[in-house]
Amino acid sequence: MTWLVWRQHRAQFCVGAALLAALAVLLLITGLQMASQYHSAIAACAAAHSCANLSSSLFLGSHAVGFLVIMTLGAPVLTGLFWGAPLVAAELETGTNQFAWMQSVTRKRWLAVKAGWLLLAAAVWGGVISALVTWWSGPDNALQLDQFKTGRFDIMGIVPVAYALFAMALGICAGVLLRRTLPALAVTLAGFIAVRAAVTLLRSHYISAITVTHSVLSAYTPPGSAWQLGQQVVDSHGNLVAAPNGAAIDSIPLGYLPASCASPARGAVSILPSCRDALASFRSVVTYQPAGRYWAFQGIETGIFVLLAVVLLAVAAVVLLRRDA
Amino acid sequence: MTTVIQTCGLSKQYRRVSALSDCAITLPEGRISALIGPNGAGKTTLLRLLAGLAKPTAGEMTVLGGVPRQDPAFLAEVGYLAQEIPLYRRFTADDHIGIGAHLNPRWDAAYVRDRLRSLNIPLDRAASSLSGGQRAQLALALTLAKKPRLLLLDEPVAALDPLARRHFLATLAEAVACGGLTVMLSSHLLADLERVADHLILLATARVQLCGDIDALLAEHQILVGPRKATTAIEKTRTVVQAVRTARQTTLLVRGNAPVVDPDWESAEVGLEEMVLAYMSQPSTGLDAASAISHLTTVGEDQ
Repeated sequence: MTWLVWRQHRAQFCVGAALLAALAVLLLITGLQMASQYHSAIAACAAAHSCANLSSSLFLGSHAVGFLVIMTLGAPVLTGLFWGAPLVAAELETGTNQFAWMQSVTRKRWLAVKAGWLLLAAAVWGGVISALVTWWSGPDNALQLDQFKTGRFDIMGIVPVAYALFAMALGICAGVLLRRTLPALAVTLAGFIAVRAAVTLLRSHYISAITVTHSVLSAYTPPGSAWQLGQQVVDSHGNLVAAPNGAAIDSIPLGYLPASCASPARGAVSILPSCRDALASFRSVVTYQPAGRYWAFQGIETGIFVLLAVVLLAVAAVVLLRRDA
Repeated sequence: MTTVIQTCGLSKQYRRVSALSDCAITLPEGRISALIGPNGAGKTTLLRLLAGLAKPTAGEMTVLGGVPRQDPAFLAEVGYLAQEIPLYRRFTADDHIGIGAHLNPRWDAAYVRDRLRSLNIPLDRAASSLSGGQRAQLALALTLAKKPRLLLLDEPVAALDPLARRHFLATLAEAVACGGLTVMLSSHLLADLERVADHLILLATARVQLCGDIDALLAEHQILVGPRKATTAIEKTRTVVQAVRTARQTTLLVRGNAPVVDPDWESAEVGLEEMVLAYMSQPSTGLDAASAISHLTTVGEDQ
């Protein structure tokens, strides 16, 4: 069976391997450049004691390569489109399943071996791309502290492996149910995007967020590469203050403040004491997921997509084995 | 003699359409059975059920001593070639031989190569670039290379030219003569089947009309020619399969070989084609007149 899988997919395997190799060369070269650029910038700013605003002054790498890296968001679904959807559908469409299933191999084994190898290939595809992107983004992550954010979280760590497995399983299942390659491709693409979007919306709720309340007069930023989910201002009674829509001081609309705050002195070095007292009664509420939860979130999201993949494969297997050839 | 295929009440329903109903057939070992019937009579359905590619809605069947099932040992014993001649378009003959070698316990790769060489079919060209006849030859050779004990062939010779057809059927007869092989093949080409088949299964409108050794079936039937008069006396002892009445005479094809006493009737032996056509066109099978005529014309037609 393994021989048949290899014979049927060796061309796609070579294309996939070539693409990975090209990506690896590109990211290795630019990644090494970025790393040395970052280290020399750190050394320079440490000497000048100006590292605090390094993230706004330093831009690493090139826009083109950065765009390519963001585009790896779409890499996992390719396995489902090019390998998963045609796996069974193309055989049913051309009738070759009647050839394959009349050799001395049961349908169960045929499906298990084919799906098994392709799932492994999908995992390797997602894993290699993710490993390259994660390594490449190292200096940038240290600089921007944003690897927890949507769009960055999804292309690094272990989740791309789970996405690729899910895409493959979705493709196989769509192919078995629809029995035609083209509709299966369409359903795989639409289904992948829909499920990814839905799970992305749920992501911030995996673990309940941490809430920090502080005076609006002092600034607060969650430490490290935390994922800040929101910031709201409440008055002394805990009532939500509407977002500013016009003139505001410390993101509090002037309407909430005494007239002294609106005086021409505003904007000057000192704020009138009466205004300062009024401002002090407001609280800023920051919700965020701390940086330390990064891998827990990666694990939870991986679990969700692996589970979905298992369910889809089970459906595909049951339908394929029960239905007439 | 052992029985290779035995079915009882076998039925297959596709939604509302009955593709095969209450099918009871018996096929002894070592026979070449011709599966005949008009288009849509259920031939392909029967072959697919026997091969285990489809599951029956009702009824029982025993194939090679067991129920057709997903089991390597069973699959190794049964060769099935679908009507549409499924081959991987981009694979060469050598690739297909490789697949067979990896997926079957008994595999005669040399047989396929020799056969294709003798037919001048290239081993290193993609199946999609071969002609229809070449593809059919390749698929047949691959099916035989599995060394099955039961061969189920769905219109295997339809794509072949007359010479290749004769050659193929001769190969088949030879393989059966060597022993251990039983064949069931469906075809519209009665004349070809008559040359090799010794067993007949006739399907019409999803039902089995005839099943048995061809010689025995022919001996059971006779043609009676007589004046135009009532046939009630004859119908008492025999079944009239077909009656053709002209202004002056009546020709009957009847089942039941008791000698006719009435001197008005002359009896004659019946040929295979006459018998088959009579069954296919008989209205009692539930065919309406129009479809019976259309079925008649399709018989013997090369697809």
